[in-house]
Amino acid sequence: MHPKQDQVDAVRARRSELENHLIDEYRAGKIGRREFVRRGALVGMSLPLVTFLATACGVSTEDLEETDKPQTAEPKQGGTIRVGEQEPAGALDPVTVNNLGGLVVLAQTGEFLVTSDPRLRLVPRLAESWKPNADGSVWTFKLRRGVKFHDGKVMDAEDVATTFDRLADPDGGSNALSVFTGVLSKGGTKAVDANTVEFQLDAPNGNFPYLISSDNYNAIILPKTYDGDWEKTFIGTGPWKLDRFRPAEGVDFVPFKEYWDPRGRAITNKNELKFYADEQGLVLGFQGNEFDACVQYSVSGGKALLTDDTVITHELRAASHRQIHMRTDKEPFRDKRVRQAMALLVDRQALVDGLLDTKADYGNDSPFAPVYRSTAELEQRQRDVAKAKELLRAAGKEDGFSVELNTWQGFEMPDLAQLLQQMVREAGIRINLDITDSATYYGEATFGNSRWLDSTMGITEYGHRGVPNVLLGAPLLSDGTWNSAHFKNKRYDQLVADYVAAVDLDAQRRIAKEIQLLLLDEVPIMFTYFYYFLSGSKDYVSGVVTNPMGQMDVSRAGFV
Amino acid sequence: MSTSASGTDVAAPTPPAEAAPVEADERAARRERLRLLTRSGTFIGGVVILAIFVICAIFGETLAPDDPFATNPLDDLAAPSGEHLFGTDRVGRDVLSRVIVGAQDILIVAPAATLLGTVLGTVLGLLTGYFRGPVDDILSRFIDAFLALPTVIIALLVITALGPSNLTVIIVVGLIFSPIIARTVRAAVLQEREMEYVAAAQLRNERTPYILFAEILPNVMGPVTVEFTVRLGYAIFTVATLSFLGFGIQPPAPDWGLQVFEHYGLISGGYWWPVVFPALAIAILVIGVNMIADGIAKAFER
Amino acid sequence: MGRFILRRVLLAIVTLFLLSLIVFVSAQVLPGDVARNILGPFADQRSVDQLNERLGTDRSIIVQYWDWITGVLTGDMGVSLAFRRPVEDVIGPALVNSAKLALLAFLIVVPLAVIGGVYAALREGSFRDRLISIGGLSATAIPDFVWAVLMILIFALTLGIFPSTATAPPGSNFFEEVWYLILPALCLVFVLFGYIARMARAGTVEALDADYTRTAVIKGLPQRTVVRRHVLRNSLLPTIAVVATQLGYLFGGLVVIELIFNYNGLGQTLVEAAQQKDFPLLQSGILIIGIVYLVATLVADIMYSVLNPRVRLGSEA
Repeated sequence: MHPKQDQVDAVRARRSELENHLIDEYRAGKIGRREFVRRGALVGMSLPLVTFLATACGVSTEDLEETDKPQTAEPKQGGTIRVGEQEPAGALDPVTVNNLGGLVVLAQTGEFLVTSDPRLRLVPRLAESWKPNADGSVWTFKLRRGVKFHDGKVMDAEDVATTFDRLADPDGGSNALSVFTGVLSKGGTKAVDANTVEFQLDAPNGNFPYLISSDNYNAIILPKTYDGDWEKTFIGTGPWKLDRFRPAEGVDFVPFKEYWDPRGRAITNKNELKFYADEQGLVLGFQGNEFDACVQYSVSGGKALLTDDTVITHELRAASHRQIHMRTDKEPFRDKRVRQAMALLVDRQALVDGLLDTKADYGNDSPFAPVYRSTAELEQRQRDVAKAKELLRAAGKEDGFSVELNTWQGFEMPDLAQLLQQMVREAGIRINLDITDSATYYGEATFGNSRWLDSTMGITEYGHRGVPNVLLGAPLLSDGTWNSAHFKNKRYDQLVADYVAAVDLDAQRRIAKEIQLLLLDEVPIMFTYFYYFLSGSKDYVSGVVTNPMGQMDVSRAGFV
Repeated sequence: MSTSASGTDVAAPTPPAEAAPVEADERAARRERLRLLTRSGTFIGGVVILAIFVICAIFGETLAPDDPFATNPLDDLAAPSGEHLFGTDRVGRDVLSRVIVGAQDILIVAPAATLLGTVLGTVLGLLTGYFRGPVDDILSRFIDAFLALPTVIIALLVITALGPSNLTVIIVVGLIFSPIIARTVRAAVLQEREMEYVAAAQLRNERTPYILFAEILPNVMGPVTVEFTVRLGYAIFTVATLSFLGFGIQPPAPDWGLQVFEHYGLISGGYWWPVVFPALAIAILVIGVNMIADGIAKAFER
Repeated sequence: MGRFILRRVLLAIVTLFLLSLIVFVSAQVLPGDVARNILGPFADQRSVDQLNERLGTDRSIIVQYWDWITGVLTGDMGVSLAFRRPVEDVIGPALVNSAKLALLAFLIVVPLAVIGGVYAALREGSFRDRLISIGGLSATAIPDFVWAVLMILIFALTLGIFPSTATAPPGSNFFEEVWYLILPALCLVFVLFGYIARMARAGTVEALDADYTRTAVIKGLPQRTVVRRHVLRNSLLPTIAVVATQLGYLFGGLVVIELIFNYNGLGQTLVEAAQQKDFPLLQSGILIIGIVYLVATLVADIMYSVLNPRVRLGSEA
């Protein structure tokens, strides 16, 4: 290896920070060869170079989704498994749940037609198969037979139709309306026969199966006779059924003996889900062995767990991110060169490696996260102070300017705000922070009554989604209800409509590339990173599975 | 005369009533108090502590080894070392610099809030103590209602309504303290109003504001001063707690309570320094102020 | 005595009424609207409007207030807007939890502080006196969140003796529950010790100086008996006052402790209610705290007059 090693070192000496970081990850086995080649191109390394490095430094394992100790031991039957999570906000109602705490509960006893797995691939569950018509405006799903609800009744197509009508009802107050508006209307779901369901969409949609998968966490299938008050029964078709609900404290589940999937039946005898008021309590509880698996923790909150040898951290690449919007219709961001300058001043490497401890993907100023299959590969924007100053000069702002940045006291957003504040100082830009609580930041969530939508600059949190449809829509379309940047671009609107309708992956990728280039040029919103979803389990359990949405599955988990 | 136990508050006990001293006696009393103060170890100790923090507040920028606002995320949460005596915080800023400069905000906000509370409380106390009857009953009911409200809820409501800022914090803490101070002042005024000089002023047909502020007030300054110094310690504590709950002074200010708020979740990971040093600063300052208050209270007791 | 109590009760009712008005008016200035807070910023406006209608939060504030107060007077505290459950169901467990913690903290701190204060007074001016006084003062000076963090760091994480949460697992027996409450109770002990000890000390000092004490000493009674029969009564007087006023704090003001120890208490519940503009929950909760506080101060005043012979003798003293 010696001659090659010298060559590698020589090559590395001439590469940038970003590129060396990538090489380190590859050598540490954190990313597979395919991933390395893909990202190498992304950061600007030529193909011959990348191939050379891939061989010289190679680790020949496949793509790893989880860069941690794998849970290989076979779990034993029996015992009680305890799971800790943050307390659900509000009532536990499948129609209205809108937070992580709540959706985890729904996913214990409830099930979906299709599941989105940790790699964002669709897995048939209550549906066996599905196919679109020619233009993607009608999707037909074949249901699995013999699936029982916890009350003994057998699931059929009418249950599915009623479930989706309930979710798509504009008067139903459902949280899924943000996904279904313009896609599926009430009455659009038809039970063709006992085991076939037909979705007649408002418009052709190539990603529709994702929109009714576990990604749409409200879409657990409920009996047609369901009429509210889910907290009494927690009714569903899943491997767990309700044992006891203790409001504000937790829920206990026991195995559902007649679960349809023999390979999915619960291994332990009880599943105790415990609620914690905040992350600090949750992390402390996990360290104190009050439970065996932890649904989610952040990089900063979970630092203790990341270095704890008894904890296995599952790192799931996700599309969760923070949107830093800049009002395109107001000074100082009216000129797109100013916005580009801001984007060039951001030190993304410091954010990914420092703020997020490498537990994130780089963001390239568009909703197309690296984790999406339709994301096109383009050169990654990096910090370039000289270029930023040049752009500012061209836009007449060489002396810098002052601007107020609004956000709220949640997650790592205050840290991001303070880091941003320091990053732009060099160019003479002075950011004044106004960090409040979430109610003040969101206000009434309508234009004119909300700092989120009215501020000149702000940071907003966006959670994971399996496909970028929603992210391309409401925050950036000319008539989008979440359009905090007041971005109005006709070409963009058209491209998004085309993307949504495109049914095959190649077409999606082609259009995605156009959109990404447009957004890199206009930069109404800075997407600086997409952070991983972190989940944890103790080393004495095996078989815990989480996905980037946070739905933790402990049915196949047990003690070793 | 009301001897309601709930009239007593948690601070120093109300000093016994004094007959209104004559001018010369007053000066002698003051000299005596000063003498006692300068000989009290506790008082001197407290002054020294306070002086150190005041120096930090005034000369903070020069004393601090680094820019308290300069972030360095790649060196975040570094343990205390030669380069960073108190380590670095979660975005890589030097903790020592932030503790030093952090004295500024608290030494402005806490005294201002205490002053506001004392002024408001004294006025309320004078009014309720002097007038008795319906004025006393109604105002006292309002004061009672305020005392029954949990402090945090008051703070939450006011700060959310006005928006978090140093000024809002001053207003909130001042508001929270005024009822308690009003209570003490009221008790003192109740004793004073029976005195002869008050009756004399009334016979002279002096106007009420004059009686309140020119006659009675100077004679209750003792308890008022004691209250002020005791409440000052409380104010520091309360402002820190508000920052800790996220309602107080805003980032990126190097406020001590805010620093504890930002970092207390990290303690379980072994990152004790961003929490312990600001917390110690709070504790030491409060102790110092309390030592001063203790000295003053003892001096006034004679 | 009877008239005294009656008068106080009537005054208390007026105070509670004022309290509810204050809270109501101030809660109105909070930003955002109720349904929007519940459904979140990404829900569509139509759902928000419908929920507001369903909850009745689109009616005028006077109507809402009237609705609530007439309900309370008939014993119905209404339904929590955020949790969609009766207020009693949400407040009940929280109240019980707060009571448990308060009781444990009191049981430890009151005897400890009274003994400490009396002891310090009996050796007034000595080193031990300064130690107790300044020690207690310093402990109180340290904010409760600092104590909580230090306690957890030392006793839960490093030494592993106590759990880092105050919520015992379901089905725990009485002793296990107490075990889980010890760390937060200790934090409260540190915070409260200083004041109670100080008041006990001041009361004792005053009593030691009093005529009747000197008389007893001259009569030749041993110090122990003097202390027990005459002095202790008066040491307890200011203590009762302090304990009563602290009761309100212990029930509704422990937000920080509840937060750090993950304990479902009244303080945290109310802060969340305020942030979510959950008016029925917030109002009812504050009403309860108000009642606790006013009852406590009333009982304290009664005990005060019972224990203090000077008061009973009138104000000629």
